[in-house]
Amino acid sequence: MRRIVGYVLAMAVVAAVLAGCGSSSDPAQRLALAALNTPAPQAHTSATGSPEPRCGDVTASLPPPAAMPSPGAMPAGSFMARIQRRGYLIAGVDQNTLLFAYFNPIDGQLEGFEIDILRQLTKAIFGNPNAIVFKALTTDERIPAVENGSVDIVADAVTITCSRRKEVDFSTVYYDAGQKLLVPTSSPIQTVDNLAGRRVCATIGSTSIQTLAQIAPRAIRYPVRQRTDCLVALQEGLVDAITSDDSILLGFKAQDPYTQIVGSSFAHEPYGMAIDKTHPDFVRFVNGVLAQMRTDGAWRAIYSHWLGKFSRTPAPPTAHYL
Amino acid sequence: MESQQSVATLPRAGTRTRSPWTLDWLRQRVTTTPGRLTLVSVLVVAGAVLFGVIATTAERSRSQAAQAVRSQTEPLLVQAATLYSALGDAEATATTTFLTGGLEPPALRTRYRQDLLLASYSLAALTREVGGSSAAHAALVTITEQLPVYSGLIETARANNRQGFPVGAAYLRQAAGLLNGTILPQADLVYSAEAKRLSDNYATGTGDAALVVLALVIAAALGLLALTQLYVAHVSRRILNVPMLLATVVLIGVSIWAIVGLLGEQSALSRARSQGSDSVEVLSATRVMLSRAQGDESLTRVGRGSDETDPVDFARVINVLSPPSGLIGEIGVLARRTGTTSAADRLATKFAAFRSSPTTPSVANGLSDDLTRQIIAAQGRFKSAAADGTSSLSGLSVAIPLLTLLVAGLALIGLRQRLEEYR
Repeated sequence: MRRIVGYVLAMAVVAAVLAGCGSSSDPAQRLALAALNTPAPQAHTSATGSPEPRCGDVTASLPPPAAMPSPGAMPAGSFMARIQRRGYLIAGVDQNTLLFAYFNPIDGQLEGFEIDILRQLTKAIFGNPNAIVFKALTTDERIPAVENGSVDIVADAVTITCSRRKEVDFSTVYYDAGQKLLVPTSSPIQTVDNLAGRRVCATIGSTSIQTLAQIAPRAIRYPVRQRTDCLVALQEGLVDAITSDDSILLGFKAQDPYTQIVGSSFAHEPYGMAIDKTHPDFVRFVNGVLAQMRTDGAWRAIYSHWLGKFSRTPAPPTAHYL
Repeated sequence: MESQQSVATLPRAGTRTRSPWTLDWLRQRVTTTPGRLTLVSVLVVAGAVLFGVIATTAERSRSQAAQAVRSQTEPLLVQAATLYSALGDAEATATTTFLTGGLEPPALRTRYRQDLLLASYSLAALTREVGGSSAAHAALVTITEQLPVYSGLIETARANNRQGFPVGAAYLRQAAGLLNGTILPQADLVYSAEAKRLSDNYATGTGDAALVVLALVIAAALGLLALTQLYVAHVSRRILNVPMLLATVVLIGVSIWAIVGLLGEQSALSRARSQGSDSVEVLSATRVMLSRAQGDESLTRVGRGSDETDPVDFARVINVLSPPSGLIGEIGVLARRTGTTSAADRLATKFAAFRSSPTTPSVANGLSDDLTRQIIAAQGRFKSAAADGTSSLSGLSVAIPLLTLLVAGLALIGLRQRLEEYR
């Protein structure tokens, strides 16, 4: 009898010990779950900014050099010579603005009015229009990219304004845009006066969103990070209208026949190429290239190639020099 | 002497009018030997029934947990992982397709469609199996609602891309935002909930509680039988009571069977976990994170001019994956346990290739496909190890109650033999 009791006790002890041995492999699961919980990127928002200060002739820029250097022979010590040594120009552009600067998914190339202007500039430096590397920027990255030197120049629908001129230098105007509205063809909205209580899309960091806040304060602003996000919002019925430069709106209209540009321009938006303040020689050189394009017909040719379908080719914007 | 005593106490039965019936009955049982024997019989039967109930319950809780691991929670976890990684892969494929430029390569389009199909199947299976009240259910509802919206955005992006419209890229971004911001977090929630359930089942299935309870109950039952036999031997002056001895033997037999069965299943389940499902979990997490890295990488280039957050996230995800402390390292550790080191080494090599050239779709897809193959292999190891557990437990849940009844019956027969001697 005692033996049985002893056996039972031994059995219980063995059972308990064996049970304790069951290897717990929770660490593998914990590691897997922790890895999966790596925080996802958060979208960051930025403010619409304060009203524009005033500053004389906003579009006035440095005059071109007395004699333009010939392609491939940039003056020693100049910023252009540094670019030439590097072998390519780095330009900040948008890649979603149809007609101006966009990535054509069919041939995998960046194309548009601004791209062609930049290629003319590249040709003036290297003699080869293809010695250029494009860097895609969002609207609110344009000025910082110039300031931190990650790009040599930005041609990305940057409106010349007094506040931006405190941060970067601008070339002379290469395109005169005006802020307008894009609405669905069925929309009752005709002018900015109809925007009260309406949802209106504009790009974060653009002059358009600042102007909208001033000119139609009762409109509900719908800020997006990239220009084409506005067209998505309009097509998905999330907004009633888009406000932007007519140049950009023209590209939207070309992508959606059920939209129309309405009203007259309610803000003048002269586009200049942004260059860091430490390179006045480069500003002069770019202005020289632009001056040449104004007179030799290159500007007109580029305009009519991209925008001729939508409007008669105007005279190139006049250059104002300091 | 015993019989005299019993005869002398018999007239007491007439005192029924003065005290309650039950007390009287008890007093009569306690004070006479046949009475005591009857009481002991009742105790033995009650003890046997209690043993049967508790032992069956312990065995049942253990085998139910094991059964749940085998046929429910582990397969569901695999489904949740499939849903998660198929969605991630669909997104990575959609963006990569856009980046290739020109007409989309049919292979990538097929891959995207297969990913969506796989995600839909898993979604349906999960919705069917997951309880209606759980948090996972709400997450599944959200995924079910948003998945068609996602694929709609992708198709709109495609239609626009085909015309060379840059708004296509915006739709692609929008789709990515919906997937990364809404759908994948829900898929993650489902996966985490299922992982927790599996972990709980493993804890119940391999924990000590059932075994300890069983051991205690066996000890108590054997003790009761032993004491009964000692008592009977004492009152009857006969050492050997064959039916009682048989009852003891049967009890010991069923106890050994139960303990061996439970231990066998416990080790089978532990093996299923260490050989199979641990690897499944780590490999699945790797595949999910790989899709995310791929998606980040592509989306940065789609450009979108763009969200500086994506390269940051890409670096973070690569960090989570990289050996030695990352997931790829853990796969190597698990592989040493499961004896699949060559496969793990191959994977590590492919990952290194992906790290150095993340933009080549064939490298990323090759890595992803290799992961899928390894998940299938690990799932196979899980299944065969878990199946070993079933055989060791089969019949036990029926045998315990039946054999317990036999023990009780034998003990009763043995007691009755002694009781008969007083008639």
